[in-house]
Amino acid sequence: MEAPPSPSQPLVVFDQVEVKYAETVALDGVSFEVQKGEFVFFVGKTGAGKSTVLKVISREVRHTGGRALLNGRELNGVRASEVPYLRRQMGIVPQDFALLAGKRVWENVAYAMRAVGASAREVRRRVPEILERVNIGHRADAFPHELSGGEQQRVAIARALINNPVLLLADEPTGNLDPEHSIEIMELLAQLNVRGTTVLVASHDVMVVERMGKRVIRLESGRVVPPVEEMGLA
Amino acid sequence: MLDHAWFLVSEAFVALRRNRLLSFAAVSTVAVSLYLLGGLGYVYLRVSEYAERIPGQFDMRVFLKQGTTFDEIRETARRIRAIDGVAEARHIPREIAWRKMREQMPKETEGLENPLPDAFKVTLSDLSKANQVRAAIARLPSVEPNGVVYDEAARQYMDQGLKFLRWLGGTLGGLLLVTAGVLIYNAIQLTILARARELRIMQLVGATRLTVSMPFVIEGMLHGLLGGALANLLVWASHVHLQERLASLQATANLGTYPIGLGFAAFCGAGAAYGAVCSVLSLRKAMRQTT
Repeated sequence: MEAPPSPSQPLVVFDQVEVKYAETVALDGVSFEVQKGEFVFFVGKTGAGKSTVLKVISREVRHTGGRALLNGRELNGVRASEVPYLRRQMGIVPQDFALLAGKRVWENVAYAMRAVGASAREVRRRVPEILERVNIGHRADAFPHELSGGEQQRVAIARALINNPVLLLADEPTGNLDPEHSIEIMELLAQLNVRGTTVLVASHDVMVVERMGKRVIRLESGRVVPPVEEMGLA
Repeated sequence: MLDHAWFLVSEAFVALRRNRLLSFAAVSTVAVSLYLLGGLGYVYLRVSEYAERIPGQFDMRVFLKQGTTFDEIRETARRIRAIDGVAEARHIPREIAWRKMREQMPKETEGLENPLPDAFKVTLSDLSKANQVRAAIARLPSVEPNGVVYDEAARQYMDQGLKFLRWLGGTLGGLLLVTAGVLIYNAIQLTILARARELRIMQLVGATRLTVSMPFVIEGMLHGLLGGALANLLVWASHVHLQERLASLQATANLGTYPIGLGFAAFCGAGAAYGAVCSVLSLRKAMRQTT
């Protein structure tokens, strides 16, 4: 079961986090906290650093300065052999859906489950349940090219839920969708959040973000931009 | 556990099906290189073993001058036995040789006086020293000029055969093994490219390194395993062919039965191990890039 929100220990802590790639500074002293059960948007232009934030959390990228904690544990202290187990605590939804074209919807989810060691019996039991959770059960036998963009994104989200994650990371989940499907996907993420999953979304879709009315962390050139009221301009 | 192992093996077969042409190239190159290295190595050993027994079969005949005295025969025997490369020198008295000949060819020898000289049957301990032994015996005073009879052609055939096998197995086999390694490496690289999305998904959902890499290692092992099985069949065919050649050369020649079961185990084992090493090397680069 998903952990209930706990104000005592934040799920994610970034404290003056820096990420530098050779000459480029992707994150420059980023600090924020995310409590369990929160829904947070990271917004900003392309290159602002929002995807890098998610990648630091999923340990696809190592931060080069500051502290980044997940559940109180320093992410740079996680050994390479432990990274797969770290990722099983979270669901990752990539921007490009990353679906396997030659496999049906249910096979796409089943494949991911088999990769993390689920038995064939467990796959048969859980895949329909997961697909229903994201309202795509009726398209279980379809191939990805037969689905709309929104439906493909639902499959990608279904795949991210196979480990019953406490944290869901979505990188531009509406980047390839029209406004109607974008709202649909965001509402689905909101439903998952209501059930207890902490959701972190990187997005540049201002309209959708504003419509959802959730917490927003704005990034610009690798830095967090303080909210207007903190800048004394309100 | 078994269920997960089956998943990994089936993923490897998916990759084999996708890369059919390159898989075929890798398997056939492994087969040829293992055949040349291991197979010819085996044939070389067996022929060497056989060659060590050959001196007993290719004995040297040494004919002495007519009228050689008993003391001279004894001295000649002593000096022949002292030559390096000689295992044994047995005196064949002219009377005994003549009696045998008369028994074998009664009509042809009827009414004739014994024309045979005293002789020695010389057995070699080292085939490669045959020429030196022959020259040393020919210099002995009691030996008839041109009195050393030895089947040089057979010895040279065997010696050249061994040298050829050594060269072929060592040089060509080594080069082809490197080529096979490169082919397996490339086949795995292509599989990694073709399956980049699967790899990414596996890593995103938290599959362990072992799960991510095992299908590729199994694929490399299958290349080696199939190549090893083919190599074993080639060696078996060569063994049969060589046995026939040797049998035509010498009635007593026999390389024995080829241990085909043991051959399969050895070749497939070596091939699988080589395939695994090549795929692990290929994977190391990809895993560094994608983790």
